[in-house]
Parts: sequence; C-alpha cells; structure tokens
Amino acid sequence: MIGFNQVTKIYDNITALRNVTFSIEKGEFVFITGPSGAGKSTLLKLVYLAERPDEGSINIAGWDTETLKEKAIPYLRRNIGIVFQDFKLLYNKTVYDNIAIALRIRGIKEAEIKDRVHEVLKMVNLRHKTDSYPRELSGGEQQRITIARAIVGEPTVLIADEPTGNLDVDNTAGIMRIFREINAKGTTILFATHNRDLFRNTGLRVLRLDNGNLVSDEKG
Amino acid sequence: MYSLKLALKSLWYDKWINLLSIVSIATGLFILGTVLLSLYNIERATQNMPERFTITLFLNEKISKKDVDLLIKRLKRESIVKEIDYISKEDALKELKTSLKDAAYILEGLDENPLFPSIVIKVRRENFDRDRVEALIKKLKGFNQIDEIIYADEILESIQDVYSGFKFVSLGVSLLFSVSVVFVCYSTVKILFFRRKEEIEVYKLLGATRSFIRAPFIIEGTIIGIVGGVAALAGNYLLVSLLKGMTNPVAVLKLIEIPVQLMVILPVAGLVLGLTGSTIALGRLKY
Repeated sequence: MIGFNQVTKIYDNITALRNVTFSIEKGEFVFITGPSGAGKSTLLKLVYLAERPDEGSINIAGWDTETLKEKAIPYLRRNIGIVFQDFKLLYNKTVYDNIAIALRIRGIKEAEIKDRVHEVLKMVNLRHKTDSYPRELSGGEQQRITIARAIVGEPTVLIADEPTGNLDVDNTAGIMRIFREINAKGTTILFATHNRDLFRNTGLRVLRLDNGNLVSDEKG
Repeated sequence: MYSLKLALKSLWYDKWINLLSIVSIATGLFILGTVLLSLYNIERATQNMPERFTITLFLNEKISKKDVDLLIKRLKRESIVKEIDYISKEDALKELKTSLKDAAYILEGLDENPLFPSIVIKVRRENFDRDRVEALIKKLKGFNQIDEIIYADEILESIQDVYSGFKFVSLGVSLLFSVSVVFVCYSTVKILFFRRKEEIEVYKLLGATRSFIRAPFIIEGTIIGIVGGVAALAGNYLLVSLLKGMTNPVAVLKLIEIPVQLMVILPVAGLVLGLTGSTIALGRLKY
C-alpha cells in the first residue's frame, strides 16, 4: 500500500530524512513516532506529495512518485485522507460545508453528498452540529470534523499528523476510538505522534524516527 | 454550478474591494467607449467628404474622339473611379456662357473657342484612399493627350489626416486603457486569491484539481469585468444624453449618436479583459 525505498529529503542542507526504507500493507495501523524534528511530518508530507523526495522512490497505492505527473497529484490525494494537528478547517463555512467540500471537488451530486456527510457526522457523534461553524466547537469537536472530512471520500489511506496534540485525555481517547473504528473497516492508517501512551501495549506497528533516520520498526 | 455559487458568494463577501474594482474598470472602459463614440461620430461626419473630391483632366485641344473614348474606357477600369463626365470644348463654352449670364457678351469678340476639352472624375467613397488617388494621377500623367491634371490636394490630405490621425490616437488610447483594465482585474483577483490562500491550500490537500480551484476566481473576475463594461456603457449613454440636452449646444453635438455596436463592444471588452486579468493573476497553481 505504501512503500519507501531509500528515501532522502534535504531542506537547505539539513537532512530531514535519510535513506528511509519501509513498506506498509493494506489495512495496517502504523504509528510514526520520534522527538520533535525527527522527520515525522516530512515523512507524511512525502506520502501526500506536498514534498518530493530528493533521493529514492515512494509508491502509494500503486502510484509511483518518480513518474507521477503534477496534474495527477489531486487524483492521488483523493485516495488519501489527511488529519492535521491544526485542523485546517474553513472557518467561514458550516460543519456541513467543510465536510461536503471533499466530495464536491470530486463532482459528486448534492443528494449523495448530503447522505454521506450525515453518515460520517453520525460516526464522529456530531450529527447535531451540522449547521454550526467551526469556531462554535471545542478543539476535540473540531478535530472530529477534520476526521469526518478526511474519511467522507472513503480513502484507502488515512494520514494523521499529531491529531491529538492539542487535545485533553478524554478527547484523545475519543479520537483514538474513531481511528480504530475506521481502521477496522479496512482503511490503512499512518498516525504520527510523539505521545507514547497512544501506542503502548496496543500491539500495533511503530516506526521510530530520530534525526531523519528510521531507528526502529517494531510492535508497540 | 458550484463554482458559480462560490463566485457569487465571494462577490458579496468581498463586496467593497469588488465594487472598487468595478468602478476602476468602468472608468477605463468609459474612456474607451468615449474614444469609440468619437471615432464613430467623426467618421459619420466626414464620410461624405470623398464624394466632393473630383479630379479634372484638361485634354489636348486637338484630341480625337477615338482617343477620348479610349481614355474613358481605361478610366472605367479603375476601381476608384465612380463617375466620368466628358466636357467637350463646345460644352465648356456653353457652360461658361450660362454661368456668366448677363456678362456673356464678353465672349462675343472671340474668333475661336479658347477652352479645352476636359474630363471630370468623381471617386468612390468606399475605395477612397490617398495612395490610390495618387497612383491614378501618376498613371494619368503618362498620357500625352492630357495637358493638365487638377485635383484638390488639400481636401485629399485633410480627409486622410482626420482619419489616420484620429485612428492612431484612438488605437493608442484604447490600448492604454485595455491594459489598465486588465491590470485592475489582475490586482483584484490576486488580492482575493491571497485572502483565500489558506482555503486554497485546504482544497489542494483534499484533491481539488486546478480547474476546480481556479474556476470561481475566473468567474468572479469575468463578472467584475462585465459589470464594469455595462456601467461604462451606462456612463456613455448618460454623457451623450447630457451633451444633446445642453440648452445652447454647439450644432454638431445635436448630431451625436451612440453606435449599436458599442452596446456589445463594452460588455464584451469587460468580459474578455476580466477573463484575461484573472487568468494571468492565478498563474500556474503548484501542488
């Protein structure tokens, strides 16, 4: 599903990732961990092609980044749901429109959009907030809207960059429950966090980065 | 459809900046409209001038009827020639006597007719052009049976000068204001684009194509251009009705007319320039 082969990424003479090689199978739930500046975000950006590798190659859901043309990037991204620590919600749009936009860009009809948005809102327990604006919601609720937006297009891969970084313990537990549910339906998840409690004793795979190097690949 | 909805929403959301752009575009297109209006009316006023222009050929006194016919035949072949009027020596004398009326007695003492036969040529309005007239005259000078050629050099020059001078200035002014309208649309869309930079980033991450992202901005820029064009047209109508309604107008102002084409030209110019400006402003989106 995701394959990194000898990937190196350099920013202004600083090596963010160095010869990173790993592969992730379909339906896996994988944590990416490591201290700040270890290269977690860079690795995720390479997956959704916000960045291109300086060396090595990446394969995502059958798309090879070496040969992928720029105009094909939107179509690759439709296979990938992204959840950010800072939510990246549109604050002048309602909860409904924030989620619906992910389907509108695919040219899906409004009647179908309505059904699918309500379905994902039910999944994240925010059906009653359909017409609210993001600023009227708590941090945990905003993050659940971001997750709903990421999964409404039914992506094969879900990427999360420190999605619980700004949340309290209860909200974190709620978010993790939603991720496990999504994964149980077959979606591959790549979850970056520096919080060890999230993967300790879960038995899930953990890739540990340090100073741009992949230092371990083991079960949590 | 969704792009149009987004564009309309944004037009309302950023109404003040959009209104400012519409006013700027309307001003530019109003000046452009005024230039076209002037050009149209000047052309209308001068369109009968070529018909008053004639070329007179004074022929050799001893020219034979056969040579006159040959010359007329050749002249008829020229595309610029509209009418040929042959005046024989006798006809010229008759004409002179008629025009002298009571003073015709001064011709009584003459032993022979002192006048020359002549040909008067009128030119076609649609083919009127200084170069063509001069080319014809040069050709006629080659005939040894033609003693003298007389034509109104000054009229020829002034018609040409009015046309070419005004057309040249109009072209310059039109070009200048077209560029300024493109620039206004460019700046408006660029500002709107920067204001929504974060929103566009989110669209890109969600997998929106370039055309999906650009469409609302291009529609918005085009609408601003069209509205600016319509406002400019309204301004031109107002200007003409004000000029016509003046209490003591210069006579020529009463004759001013708005060409029907202007009703199409200004909104279409707004549309094209708005579209051009916004397309340039968006440039190439990078992922």
